[in-house]
Amino acid sequence: MGGVGTIRNNTDIAIRPARRERRAVMRFSRWGAMSCALGACLCIALLPLTVSAQPAPDLGTDEQREAGRLLYMDKCAQCHGETGKGDGVAAPFMRPMPRDFTAGIYKVRTTPSGQLPTDDDLVRVIRDGMPYTGMPAWPQLNDDEIRNLVYYIKTFNDDFSGPYGVPDVVEIPDPPSFSEASAERGRVVYEENQCFDCHGMAGRGDGPSAVTLQEQWGNHIRPADLTKRWTFIGGNTREDIYRTFTTGLDGSPMPSYSITPIEDSWALVDYVYSLSQDEPDYATSATAQYANDPVDPVQGRAAFGEERGAYFPVVGQVIESGRSFMPGVDGIEMKARYNADEIAILLSWHDMSAETMGSNAPDMEVPPTEQVVRDTVTSIWSDAVAIQFPQELAPGGLPYFLFGDARQPVDLWFADLASGEGRSYVGRGSGNLLAGETSPSVRATYEDGAWTAVFTMPRDERFAEDTFVPIAFSVWDGFNDERGNRRGVTGWYYMYLEPSERPSPVMPMLRAAGLTLLVLLSIVGLVRFRHRTSVPA
Amino acid sequence: MNIIILLVVCAGLVALRFVPKINILGWLAGWWIAVFVFLRWGIDPPLPTSIQGMFVAILTLALLAYLSANSAHFRFVLDRFVAFTTQKKYTIPLLAVIAVLPCLVALRVYFDVTEGPAPPLSSRTIHPPPPTSIEVAGNTIDLVNDDNPYRALETEDPAAFEEHVENGRRVYYENCVYCHGDDMAGDGLFAHGFDPIPANFQDATTIAMLQEGYIFWRIAKGGPGLPSESTPWLSAMPAWEDFLSEEDMWDVTLFLYDFTGHRPRAREDHGGGGDH
Ligand code: HEC
Ligand code: HEC
Ligand code: HEC
Repeated sequence: MGGVGTIRNNTDIAIRPARRERRAVMRFSRWGAMSCALGACLCIALLPLTVSAQPAPDLGTDEQREAGRLLYMDKCAQCHGETGKGDGVAAPFMRPMPRDFTAGIYKVRTTPSGQLPTDDDLVRVIRDGMPYTGMPAWPQLNDDEIRNLVYYIKTFNDDFSGPYGVPDVVEIPDPPSFSEASAERGRVVYEENQCFDCHGMAGRGDGPSAVTLQEQWGNHIRPADLTKRWTFIGGNTREDIYRTFTTGLDGSPMPSYSITPIEDSWALVDYVYSLSQDEPDYATSATAQYANDPVDPVQGRAAFGEERGAYFPVVGQVIESGRSFMPGVDGIEMKARYNADEIAILLSWHDMSAETMGSNAPDMEVPPTEQVVRDTVTSIWSDAVAIQFPQELAPGGLPYFLFGDARQPVDLWFADLASGEGRSYVGRGSGNLLAGETSPSVRATYEDGAWTAVFTMPRDERFAEDTFVPIAFSVWDGFNDERGNRRGVTGWYYMYLEPSERPSPVMPMLRAAGLTLLVLLSIVGLVRFRHRTSVPA
Repeated sequence: MNIIILLVVCAGLVALRFVPKINILGWLAGWWIAVFVFLRWGIDPPLPTSIQGMFVAILTLALLAYLSANSAHFRFVLDRFVAFTTQKKYTIPLLAVIAVLPCLVALRVYFDVTEGPAPPLSSRTIHPPPPTSIEVAGNTIDLVNDDNPYRALETEDPAAFEEHVENGRRVYYENCVYCHGDDMAGDGLFAHGFDPIPANFQDATTIAMLQEGYIFWRIAKGGPGLPSESTPWLSAMPAWEDFLSEEDMWDVTLFLYDFTGHRPRAREDHGGGGDH
């Protein structure tokens, strides 16, 4: 355990022996052996922390627990199950699964790895929820109600009432202010501690181990995409990030680290923090800029300028048969350029792994009875993406956003990323897709956890200057068995084709100012004239 | 509505009362500023700029009308205006106004031209009139006269009713929770991906003011079953007749009311059938 940080263990040999040890056997092979060994060292390091005299755990009164139980049955049991086992009716549709409270394993804690959370930790996670997972926030419950829920949840696991019921608390020091230099140093710390093994070199959750990680409960789990901190389940302030890697997320493969010196801890925080903005800033329209020369798709992103494109939310297609409850992709970025003959659209999205084996198509059958699947590497379905436009721009309305309808068809530009070739379809509903006439030319690359696909098509009369063209997207993640109707979708958004000649504001400004001046002068002149003539000298 | 802004504006107007020797010009200016501030910042979500402009124009006209209604006030303001434009001591402020106003107008034009146009908005009717009857799995359901067939159990056989509600709970958490949210506030996991956003059943303007037949129609036919003024092409609401049995759909309707504590709207006040 030198200057570089050490991985603390997820198991809790020192603190909660026998019972937990059996359950807590690490399922993820790579880290198992290593962390057990380190954990043994660490328990010695942690011992002094645990010998302090322990006050009795606060378990609430009978009334409080009963009030909590009633609330739990009303608001939580449908996911977490009536007996707290995480097997409520909604459970099969969520990833990660709702927590099994009988296990007594919690992710968001201010306590050392392996220990139970404090009451305040539970209060916080219930009130704020875990964004982008099935666990909702509960701002509508008051403090007492949440407290009662906590008392009730604690009854599911005996450890809360035993000697481990009063956990140690890891102090989170006041953060120094953010600095670029510290974030720079953090990159090195990130590499030294091999965070990239799971989170990837660019932090997009695409590390080499990412596809094999498993939760305590046996399901695959994706490493967080560190470039989207609005999705962090434990909060996205710098203190939260510090706490996440200092105490780890128990039950998930995310280990706990003790990174010394403390400056390096904050450097790592700053690095992670520097990878993204606070909010996704979802767009409702994207701008296609005019370019004299045709876009060179080989240049990829560089051909479209540096600035961030329009970012649209992608959600599961849960409307028609073949539903996708846990889409692999949660957002897609778009940029566009056009010239007299062509329109080029760049799409970019983060994907934990590139599936380039097998094939995919928007009209593949998904048996309605197929079990809801969780991430698996089957190599049957490849990653794919599609752009959708109304075939005609009717003033009265748009086609149905799921591949059009009988009245108004859509054009679909589709790319199967295994073959990398583009195809087009005419859609009159997802059950009625026919091959289209002209296929888009597509160039797609996968790098550091991000797909980038550039579509180029001849520019038809729909794409006139200074118009808003409705646009929608579908994304398929092969790793998640997505194909056909099982996909990530967006609603209708707009692409605005910026006029090739931007009208200069100078003339209209001069005209308006001149007119105003004229009016003012004539008023003053008139008043003065009348005044002089009416008041005799 | 932003209460804080409203309070500040009202407080400002009250304070104006206590300003000693305030003349009519001060009053008009005070009112103009107060209403402007409220229109601009006090309304949430903000009004579109074009509507704001319209209101400001009406406001200006109204204040002018108020002014001309009283000849003493009108005379006073006119005299002040004539004095400002003609007297020597005001020459410098007058020149300043003549120089600054055109610049402000030019600035406004600059913003208008460079801002770029906004994407088209499509307005939709949220609660269009329902059809009189619908076809579900070969059954005709009369939306005018038929009630929820299980509603009567509420008083006749509470235990059986409870079973239907429980089944509705299962249906809801297996099918609706991603969009309408675990607490039915329209904020499920996928809600941010749809516009219009999924209906908020806690709100008084959704199921609380509708009849159960109406809810049944919306559940069975979803977005695709809406008439054209409700922009069916945008609504993500699925047509549940493809997934659920008729009983499941009536049960989930019961559960929506049971969970939120709302009561379905009674028949008479809809002008429809006569029975209760
Ligand atoms: C719609 C389903 C759903 C509902 C309703 C729900 N939860 Fe959860 N909850 C989840 C899921 C899914 C997770 C696991 C998230 C993860 O592991 O990332 C979770 C995790 C938790 C956790 C563990 C937090 C941690 O730090 O590991 C607690 C505590 C919790 N829920 C409490 C509650 C309470 C209390 C209620 C009722 C007020 C509730 N949940 C309602 C789905 C739900
Ligand atoms: C063994 C794989 C693995 C390694 C190594 C790893 N992580 Fe993670 N990390 C995960 C997984 C998996 C998650 C998602 C856990 C979840 O959602 O329950 C995660 C989540 C996170 C999160 C998001 C927490 C939140 O609130 O959602 C942050 C931040 C993070 N890791 C930082 C780091 C840093 C910094 C390092 C290196 C010091 C690191 N991780 C190393 C697997 C790993
Ligand atoms: C894919 C997301 C989605 C799912 C899943 C979904 N809904 Fe909806 N629902 C919506 C949207 C969006 C609206 C608002 C637009 C509209 O009125 O069509 C809506 C509207 C409604 C309305 C009309 C409310 C009103 O005030 O008119 C009812 C009733 C309703 N949903 C019930 C349900 C039920 C019951 C389920 C589950 C069986 C369900 N929804 C599942 C998205 C969804």
